[in-house]
Amino acid sequence: MAVTKIIEVPFTLEIPVGPQHPALHEPVLLKAYADGEEIVKVDINTGYNHRGIEKLCEKNSFYRDIFIVGRVCGICNAVHANAYVRALEAILDVTPNNRARYLRVLAMELERIHSHMLINAVMAENIGFEALFMNIMLDREKVMKAKEIVTGARVMADYMMVGGVRRDIDDVKRDKLRKLISELRPRVEYYRKVFEEDETILKRLIDVGRLKPVDVTSHGLLGPVARASGVKIDTRASDRYDAYNEIPFDVVTRNEGDSWARMMVRWDEVLEAINMVEYILEKLPSDGNPVPDEKKLPRKFPLGEAYTRVEAQRGELIYYVMSDGKGMNPYRVKIRTPSFNNIINTGFMYIGHTIPDLPVILTSLDPCISCMERVTVVDLEKNIVYKVSLKELGGGKWGSRRYSI
Amino acid sequence: MGKPKILDLVLKNLASKPATIQYPKEPTPVEPDYRGRHYADLGKCTGCSLCSIECPADAIKMTPIPSGYDVPKSNPRKIYPLIDYGKCVYCYRCITVCPFNAYISTNEYRLADTTMHNSSELSLSTLKKGGPG
Repeated sequence: MAVTKIIEVPFTLEIPVGPQHPALHEPVLLKAYADGEEIVKVDINTGYNHRGIEKLCEKNSFYRDIFIVGRVCGICNAVHANAYVRALEAILDVTPNNRARYLRVLAMELERIHSHMLINAVMAENIGFEALFMNIMLDREKVMKAKEIVTGARVMADYMMVGGVRRDIDDVKRDKLRKLISELRPRVEYYRKVFEEDETILKRLIDVGRLKPVDVTSHGLLGPVARASGVKIDTRASDRYDAYNEIPFDVVTRNEGDSWARMMVRWDEVLEAINMVEYILEKLPSDGNPVPDEKKLPRKFPLGEAYTRVEAQRGELIYYVMSDGKGMNPYRVKIRTPSFNNIINTGFMYIGHTIPDLPVILTSLDPCISCMERVTVVDLEKNIVYKVSLKELGGGKWGSRRYSI
Repeated sequence: MGKPKILDLVLKNLASKPATIQYPKEPTPVEPDYRGRHYADLGKCTGCSLCSIECPADAIKMTPIPSGYDVPKSNPRKIYPLIDYGKCVYCYRCITVCPFNAYISTNEYRLADTTMHNSSELSLSTLKKGGPG
């Protein structure tokens, strides 16, 4: 008998990972298509955490925005505020003194330490290493305390202000910080050794999500993700903003390019940051008061625009601020965060790995979902999803269509 | 397979006392200049509303002082900043922009309360009662 009918059986299984998922700490949807255990395709779907911060910035005054941009992301609030404040300083032509520039770097490097320790702890948790997670988080308390001493709060620093910082440190605080940092260093060295030698960690991380340098450059990946593949890209070294031109540090790179290398780059950066914090506490210049009188700062901003970038914990963070010279509010604030590139552009990395590797690869990219939510246009007439450039959105092409943002 | 590297640490932790602070029973150590609950000293406040304008979270509303309080003459409109602690983000912008340094800052971080959600009680306690109002 001849074959008259063929029944097609789908060979891939669609597995939604997220937006609510135990392995993810923030809402993002990775729609994985698996052939057995092997992932053949991943669709990355974002938009669960979009809050319209850029529009909110346009509706509020320049000074209120300093605190609003700090809340784009809790983990990297000081770097967000720093990039924005430096943009305002460029428009106003204000220069902070040396002590303020050093204190800014101090706050940002403390933030780098706690962010990198957090993501390493989360990685330990995701591969089922709860004890290591708890211990890293316990030692992370030391750097949270250091941040509380410097800025006045454990997480939300609110430390940057046009023309300087918002509070100074004295000798008592400096001694406390020195003690905390000296206690932290052996712990970080220990955890680095655990990540370097423990067989469980090595088996789960090595060769998972290998990224070639050519893929890094062609997909525009940033930060520790790029540096772990041997691409030496670091805004601190290339821009030398704030006091980075005077504080010695090395740009850490590795050549392996896998998940393990990304975590090791982060541990090495923590050690570099500890060196930098110790250098700052040793050589803190005293050329006047770093705290500007916020009552006397200029209320009106002249016509102008500024484009600043800063090396956040996850890579290069870019701010564009435009003032039309008319009012108290910025005409435009554009934020480009590193996670936007690092997460959305890396769907190809998951292919060929197994389902349990998926959270490992995602965690090794250090996702910061609240940073990366941006505009997607859904055409309701044609029922198609577009990603449009800002130029097209602003150019009036979309004015006559129905769309939702 | 060798022994897990973290085993020594785990065994050491097993013998030592827990690192967890039993929070409501014992206090968490905070710095004296931690950004905690703050309120306006109405003896100094002139009701200029600058803090309300500058607040990034819109947590401050200028509110009339209830009758029965001895309001200083420097506050002709008889209004005071009422901070909604649920909205406040504790950035202390109001404290730094106040032209009369009228804010009192504390390091009080235990803000969960069933009764007090705003600064009215604390602020009004800085004024003397009495007078025709």
